[in-house]
Amino acid sequence: MTWMTAMPTPVLVPGTGEDLELDRPWLVVVWNDPVNTMSYVVYVFRKLFGYDIEKATKLMLQVHYEGRAIVSDGPRERAEVDCYRLHNHGLWATIEQ
Amino acid sequence: MSHFKTTRRGIEASFSDAERTFLGDVIPLLEGLGPTGDDPAAARLTVPVYLDDPVANEEWWRLMGTDLEMAREADRGVFSTVIGSRQPVVLDDADADAVLRVLNEARLVLGARLGIEVEDDHERVPPEERAALDYLGWVEEELIDELTRRL
Repeated sequence: MTWMTAMPTPVLVPGTGEDLELDRPWLVVVWNDPVNTMSYVVYVFRKLFGYDIEKATKLMLQVHYEGRAIVSDGPRERAEVDCYRLHNHGLWATIEQ
Repeated sequence: MSHFKTTRRGIEASFSDAERTFLGDVIPLLEGLGPTGDDPAAARLTVPVYLDDPVANEEWWRLMGTDLEMAREADRGVFSTVIGSRQPVVLDDADADAVLRVLNEARLVLGARLGIEVEDDHERVPPEERAALDYLGWVEEELIDELTRRL
């Protein structure tokens, strides 16, 4: 009998990876748009997510200069509702994991 | 002078008769969109939500699309009431947000119809062709100023 076979049963059972896939948060991404103004986008981020002006402005600038920014994350249901609220304000939002 | 000012009763909006005539055309513009495949404005308002998953995207639009259209129609109703009312008219915060969304939706539609796809396109459009877009943008900025003070 070797030392390894004498080890107690591991507490953590290696998963298949599916659990990790399910646990990964869903991301709501806002994409750059040539018509929506910077001030409008900042206002929408503050209004919908309660972000302060610094965070809202930082996200807006990320959208503007990098083309996209993750503005919220969480369970899929919440991401889909956030996406709805953004579309209702005319922002192009997508969902990814 | 701004079209909006904050009062104790809410945000007071005031437009001239000429402006109200112009703004009265906004709702027919939004209600007259063509099929998504033929009208870039309609396509802009129904952009995909799941870029790499057409099935999930179709499901999202099936579940959310009707609610979204109903919300937009409710906003347009508020907008029509505001424009059709004797001026000045006082808006509560929810009404002001509805007016803001309609102004922005109209700008998205006009921008799509003018072929504005990147920022530089705006400058390529002759001023006389983008006058409506610019006017709506000016009014929108004024309203954002008032609403931002109330956050």
